[in-house]
Amino acid sequence: MAAVRRWRPWALVVLLVLLAVLPWGVSAYIVGVLTVAYYFAVYAMSWDLLFGFAGEVNFGPTFLIGLGAYAASLLDIHRWPVPLCVLVGAAAAVVGGAALAVPALRLRGPYFGLVTLVAVLVLQQVIVIFAGITGGEIGLSVPDVLAVDANPNYWYALAFMVASGGILVTLSRSPVGLILQASGQDATETAALGFNVAKHKVAAFCVSAFFSGLSGAMVVFYEGTVSVGSVIDLALGVQVIIAAVLGGRRTIYGAALGAIFLILANELLRPLGQLNTFVVAAVALIVILFFPNGFMGILGRAGERS
Amino acid sequence: MLALQILIDGFAISALYGLGAIGFTLIFGVSGVLNLSHGGIMVIAAIAAWAIAGDLHAGTYIGSAAGVLIGLIAALVTYGLVVRPIQRSRAIPRDETEIFVLTGTLLWGIMIQEAVAYFFTDNPVTVVPLISGVATIGGVRVPYNEIMIAAICWSVIGLLWLLVNRTRAGRALLAASINPRGLTLLGFELSSIYLLVWTIYGVLAGLAGVLLATFLGAGSANIGQLTASAFSIVVLGGLGSVSGSLLAAYVVGYLETLTAYLVAPTLRTIPSLLLLVIVVYLRPQGLLGRR
Amino acid sequence: MSPLLDVQRVTKRFGGLVAVKELSFHVEAGEILGLIGPNGSGKSTAMKLIMGIERPNSGRVLLGGQDVAGQATHRIARQGVGIVFQHSRPLHRQTVLENIKLALLPDSLLRLAADKSVNDRACAIAESVGLGAVMHRRPNTLPFADLRRLELAKAIARDPKVVLVDEPFAGLTAAEVGIFSGLIDGFRREGRAVLLVDHNVKGVAALVDRVLAMYLGERIAEGSAEEVMRDPTVRAVYLGGSIETHARDAAVIDATPVLLEVADVSVLYGKAQALERVSLRVHEGEFVSVVGLNGAGKTTLFNAISGLVRYDGRIEWAGGSLAGRSPAAIARGGIVQCAETRELFGDMSVRENLDLGGQHQPPAESRDRLAWLFELFPILKERARQAARTLSGGEQQMLAIARALMMNPRLLILDEPTLGLAPVILEQLSKALERLRRTTAITVLLGEQNVTFALPHADRVYVLEHARIVWQGDPALFAKEAGAGYL
Repeated sequence: MAAVRRWRPWALVVLLVLLAVLPWGVSAYIVGVLTVAYYFAVYAMSWDLLFGFAGEVNFGPTFLIGLGAYAASLLDIHRWPVPLCVLVGAAAAVVGGAALAVPALRLRGPYFGLVTLVAVLVLQQVIVIFAGITGGEIGLSVPDVLAVDANPNYWYALAFMVASGGILVTLSRSPVGLILQASGQDATETAALGFNVAKHKVAAFCVSAFFSGLSGAMVVFYEGTVSVGSVIDLALGVQVIIAAVLGGRRTIYGAALGAIFLILANELLRPLGQLNTFVVAAVALIVILFFPNGFMGILGRAGERS
Repeated sequence: MLALQILIDGFAISALYGLGAIGFTLIFGVSGVLNLSHGGIMVIAAIAAWAIAGDLHAGTYIGSAAGVLIGLIAALVTYGLVVRPIQRSRAIPRDETEIFVLTGTLLWGIMIQEAVAYFFTDNPVTVVPLISGVATIGGVRVPYNEIMIAAICWSVIGLLWLLVNRTRAGRALLAASINPRGLTLLGFELSSIYLLVWTIYGVLAGLAGVLLATFLGAGSANIGQLTASAFSIVVLGGLGSVSGSLLAAYVVGYLETLTAYLVAPTLRTIPSLLLLVIVVYLRPQGLLGRR
Repeated sequence: MSPLLDVQRVTKRFGGLVAVKELSFHVEAGEILGLIGPNGSGKSTAMKLIMGIERPNSGRVLLGGQDVAGQATHRIARQGVGIVFQHSRPLHRQTVLENIKLALLPDSLLRLAADKSVNDRACAIAESVGLGAVMHRRPNTLPFADLRRLELAKAIARDPKVVLVDEPFAGLTAAEVGIFSGLIDGFRREGRAVLLVDHNVKGVAALVDRVLAMYLGERIAEGSAEEVMRDPTVRAVYLGGSIETHARDAAVIDATPVLLEVADVSVLYGKAQALERVSLRVHEGEFVSVVGLNGAGKTTLFNAISGLVRYDGRIEWAGGSLAGRSPAAIARGGIVQCAETRELFGDMSVRENLDLGGQHQPPAESRDRLAWLFELFPILKERARQAARTLSGGEQQMLAIARALMMNPRLLILDEPTLGLAPVILEQLSKALERLRRTTAITVLLGEQNVTFALPHADRVYVLEHARIVWQGDPALFAKEAGAGYL
């Protein structure tokens, strides 16, 4: 296990360098797919922080993503500067997340998950009802984009993923991360050790919301459009969960791996036509049935046994 | 007579919602599983009925019966291939079994959706109603099919009530939803109980799917929405409570019908969604739930 | 000097059940108070009330003069109360050191960098409890005693003014008990107030300064350990007074075939040795009592026989092995267990519960048995239509036994039927058991900590202590040889 720990940082650096120079070696199409995958990876990593660390299952990550995306879009249409749009989008997601989390965390078991699911349904309907402002089911086009060419967009996305991942991993390894893990594993004992479990879980929710919303906002400035189907879809939320579980719960890295795998697999299997989603779903099902610890589990990550 | 129209239409659609929701909540109450491939099983039954009745020229009666049978098989396959292996898996920690079952059934539902769309079509299919024609009740035109749907749903619900309250197997089911360990100590094999409940579920879901196809049509595109609506009804009524699901189905059914007729058909899901939000915040165990 | 912990007239109700009734006591700095009582006496609830895990319905809990009753657990913890739970609760995905470090952290959202001093203190604490060598290992690789040390280490790390310790010695060897006593004594020497909760005075007598004995939620005696052990109310309630025995002729019984043979059975729960090479046998028609305190292993033994837990060793029933049979099949095969938790179907009526018990029998026989059971327990006939969860504790116990009897068992296993029941109910249960013994051919395996209840119904006695059988023989000899060590 010590050997694994030692080569991992080096492997990571090599990997990142490879990814950074990738655009010069592959087609613009692949670059585009990977760009989307990196944003998706941030969705998945934020989800893993909440699930893997605070022990709460968020069935509607797209509630947070959607809030970030739509807030950023609406501001951009009113000609606010792009960085501000993105930040306000993230803030909107945090506010929405906190408003959801505070009452929801009082609920036990499957009820917390239900509330998060209902939140997505509600946001979908709100967007549709106020179609005049939000563009309804068709969506909105935003005037600005981060960059016009594929390569700069790719680097923006890569940098964003690495930065977000770095922050999330640091958080998970910090004392706060330890408290979060305790809160998720054994709330009574954690409270007996003097920690306000509710406070920490709401904080975890807000961090997860921040990164989800931020990534959702950035995606809008990559794609140039936003719609209910692209950011508030239940199916998208499902894919986020699958990515994190597939990659390996409680690892943060794993979520990124799972996300990239899902997006790449979906694209590469496109020649199969309609069956590509089927195959990906089937593979994911087999992985969780036989390798519940996901890709990271297969790679022999230590300490996942409980 | 708008009021009467609303009353009758609402009654029929609520009964149909109720049938699907009862199966969903039974599975949760007895075996603790939230089956997110529920819509998929309903649509498999619908497609099977359509294909057998139409393509195989077997006629609508045989087609419908076959559809229900295939829905039953689909449910048992879901249990045997997806749910049971996860529940029995030693690699998954006890407290995470639920989320794995959820993710697993979700994935399975997606697989069903894509497979149906690939092999058949993603357009909704309709099955020819068993009784065609229209009746006139109190000045309102009601298709015979609608009346039949309400009648079938309520007969099945009645049969289910008889099963649970008057038969040995049914009482064992009820006991399993209260205390599975107690039942084991009394010599009942839980694995048989689970098989029984999934069988009942398969029949209910299959029937609901076939009837839906005769009424509004069903296709792979509906799958997600069917699961979501059964889910919402069951949460509203109370997870695990059969009478709660029935009550909630009627509340939702009438809210939708009223909205569709009096406001706008496109907005029909809004009031029930609002109600769901309120219930989940004020009374998360649902109207009649006890967990 | 005012006491560090002052509990004043605290009451806690759970629905109709009063778990703690007007309980008052105090613990000074540098003092160890033993809170003693059997299961169901309310001692664990009292501890939870102090820690804020439950809210009292009335009364005050004063911590250094401040009333903390009803506050959230984490706030009470931060005001200086530490708790060592009965069952170890480590974080499984973290190392021992990280578990201790957690206990040293402040409740802050903003700590992103670990303080070096935290790491050093955690190491020091690990060394002081004897975990120095295993600091970087994960809990699932550690033996049972080390997990208990970890719990103590976490408590030490909290630097509490008041320490609550629940059943500190359960599952430990004699040598380990000595070490743990020393560590708990350390708390006293450091001037903390220690509340030790246990079910057995004798086990903690050497460690505590004072003892408070509880029964059915109330205090029944207080004083030094010796005083409490001699107190007549305590003896009456814990031992139930003088022990009578009515063993049937041993020679006759030994001649009947062996119905159940348990040979060298061991059970591991995670790291804890719940049963260690236990052997016993029950002859057809015999009434055997397995006597032992909480945590001795009675329930584990019965669960092994009923097929509910895995075990090493052999269990043979009516000549054939039970291995590989499902619990439901074992129950249908004639071994019916009436569990300690009763496992009733609360929302179903008394009659429905009984009917479920009779499901595997021919209907005519079930009807006859039901009539006979209504005669044995008339109160059940009265309450036949009531939901089981509305019954009183004693009535529920009778229902559980009757339901088990509906299955027409060859061997009836009764696990602690008298738990938490008032003496008057014990009388009725005793009479029912007596009738069973005299009028039927049933074989009974009775697990009890209430020796006075168990012995009159025993033809033979086994004593289970810390997962091992330490004595077996004639009930009459029990009182002389083993009974003395019992309180």
